[in-house]
Amino acid sequence: MAEAQAPPAGRARTEAPAGAGWARRLSAWLGQERVFRLIPFILVEGTFLLLLAIPFVLTVYISLLKWRANRPFEQAYFEGLGNYVDVLTDPEFWWALGRTFYFAGVAVVLELLLGFFLAMLLYREFRGRRLYITIFLIPMMVVPVVVGYNFSMIYIDSGPLNEILAPLVRLVGGDPRIRWLSHPIAAQWAIILADVWQWTSLTFLIFLSGFSALPQPLISAARLMGASRWQIFWRVQLPLLKPVIVIAVVIRSMEALKIFDQSVLLTFGGPGNSTQTVAFYLWRQVWQFNKFSFGAAASVLLLLIFSVLIYFGIYLLVRERAMLHKEGA
Amino acid sequence: MAGPAPARARSSFARRHHLFWYFRHAVLLAWSGFVLFPIFWMVLTSFKDAAEWVTWPPHWIPHDPTLHNYRQIFTFSQLGQDLTRQATEQVFNIWGALMDSLLICTVSSFVSLLLGTFLAYSVSRFGVGGKNFRYLILTIRMVPPIVVAIPILMYYAIMIPHTTEVLTGVRVSFYDTYSGLGLLYVATTLPFVIWMMLSFIDEVPYTLEHAARMMGAGRIHTLRRVVVPLVASGMVVTFLFIFILNWSEFLLALTLTHPNVTTLPVLLNKFQSAVEGRLYGPQAAIGTVITIPVVVLGILIQKHLVKGFSFGMIRK
Repeated sequence: MAEAQAPPAGRARTEAPAGAGWARRLSAWLGQERVFRLIPFILVEGTFLLLLAIPFVLTVYISLLKWRANRPFEQAYFEGLGNYVDVLTDPEFWWALGRTFYFAGVAVVLELLLGFFLAMLLYREFRGRRLYITIFLIPMMVVPVVVGYNFSMIYIDSGPLNEILAPLVRLVGGDPRIRWLSHPIAAQWAIILADVWQWTSLTFLIFLSGFSALPQPLISAARLMGASRWQIFWRVQLPLLKPVIVIAVVIRSMEALKIFDQSVLLTFGGPGNSTQTVAFYLWRQVWQFNKFSFGAAASVLLLLIFSVLIYFGIYLLVRERAMLHKEGA
Repeated sequence: MAGPAPARARSSFARRHHLFWYFRHAVLLAWSGFVLFPIFWMVLTSFKDAAEWVTWPPHWIPHDPTLHNYRQIFTFSQLGQDLTRQATEQVFNIWGALMDSLLICTVSSFVSLLLGTFLAYSVSRFGVGGKNFRYLILTIRMVPPIVVAIPILMYYAIMIPHTTEVLTGVRVSFYDTYSGLGLLYVATTLPFVIWMMLSFIDEVPYTLEHAARMMGAGRIHTLRRVVVPLVASGMVVTFLFIFILNWSEFLLALTLTHPNVTTLPVLLNKFQSAVEGRLYGPQAAIGTVITIPVVVLGILIQKHLVKGFSFGMIRK
């Protein structure tokens, strides 16, 4: 890089002359480019290696054992791929995986549409704009557990949601005190709604920054040439926003697939297992039923599934960025 | 728009009656209401006494506003004789969880910020780690935390105690300790730090550093006097951002700590699963106490958040 032009021996010249010999030697040593390149890299990669890679290797090993927490670890015996077979033939695992993708898919689509729409209404300057933006960004900062609690308050049978809907329900002739979280489909939508409430703020933020960074001259040029508003939107603004849309889709989908907090706080996976996400399912298997080797096998499989998705997401991001650079923007 | 529009055009009708103006504000106000309502309801509930938590029809304004919930969560006494009331015999306070949360979040955010900034600098200046390093690092953030939690549980609860017992004769367990959870928070927030700091450091022109180095400043000196002052605000924003992330983290805290270390989200969850006798009021008070400082912090850094999220993908 440009580093080659830097003076090669600049380090020792001006390091603080005062101080003990060891301090000077330390700062001289730290000042070398080689050290600068390596130390932070080693530290960070070492953290990842120690905290993520080694445990994962251990997990692969445990997933090959037969071990539940009712026995000490020393008595676990080798079982081969039995746990993997158990996981793959467990209908609940597939059900939970399906639920996760269903929640994430619906929630992300809603969030993207709403966020895009709100950003479109707000990207031009008008009175009250800043206030709206501040309000719209609040949900992102609320602790997810608190969001779960808030929505559980709203959904209870004598909660405000039923109070608001009461006139309508009475019109139909039903009991207005509906237990939203006891109905499988309503509970699923309750979780999706809580997710949309919280994370539309993020898609809104991403799209807003995208809209504000649109090159105005291009749009005025299109208008001068007689393009209608509709044409400008579809032919000029949307293509320019494509990288931003890709970011929003990738980030939001990755985060949405982790969904856990709301199924613990709102429904505890119920009623039945209708709101069990994959994270919740695994948490139950390991922390409540103590099926350790089963959980280990499931998390290895899950990582495999997710690494395909992650690879695809990163590929999209890298490709968009490469295209941006090629255009020389 | 300049000039009087032709009178019969459709758009001019809309413009004359400010239809778009009404439409825009109607939509925005509706969304604001939707966004603010859950928070409003929580704050409201935190001022209600036990009798009003669950009533039909619900009270929109507490008929008998009280600070009892706050007194209950901030009490110091273990039994709180003066605070018992029928619906909430159990007195709990949040001091322990608050201190745990503050300690873990502050220390781990700080460590993560230092490590990440350092690495971001060397990635930005020397291209450490290859061309796509900034994306590779993202993969770690994308792995679902449950996939991290299960290996870590076994690592903390089995491998480390066993290894240390064999090597030194002392069982050292990271399960349910500050350092165990804190280390994990460092690892999970590092990708964000590196990312956000990269976008800040990339903007510091290299010529500035080059000039300083030409004039004879050492590398450390250049870093301290030229680079750090320029990215200081970025560091503050990053710190606050990952602090918020750690502050709200739930899954890892729930799974890797049980009796000793309790963070605030875990404490709040503890009272959620009870079917009968849920403590709506104190829960609302805890929720308010957790949320308000973070929202205030978030509003303070709001302007800078956009930058951290743009990944250098926004055309300038």
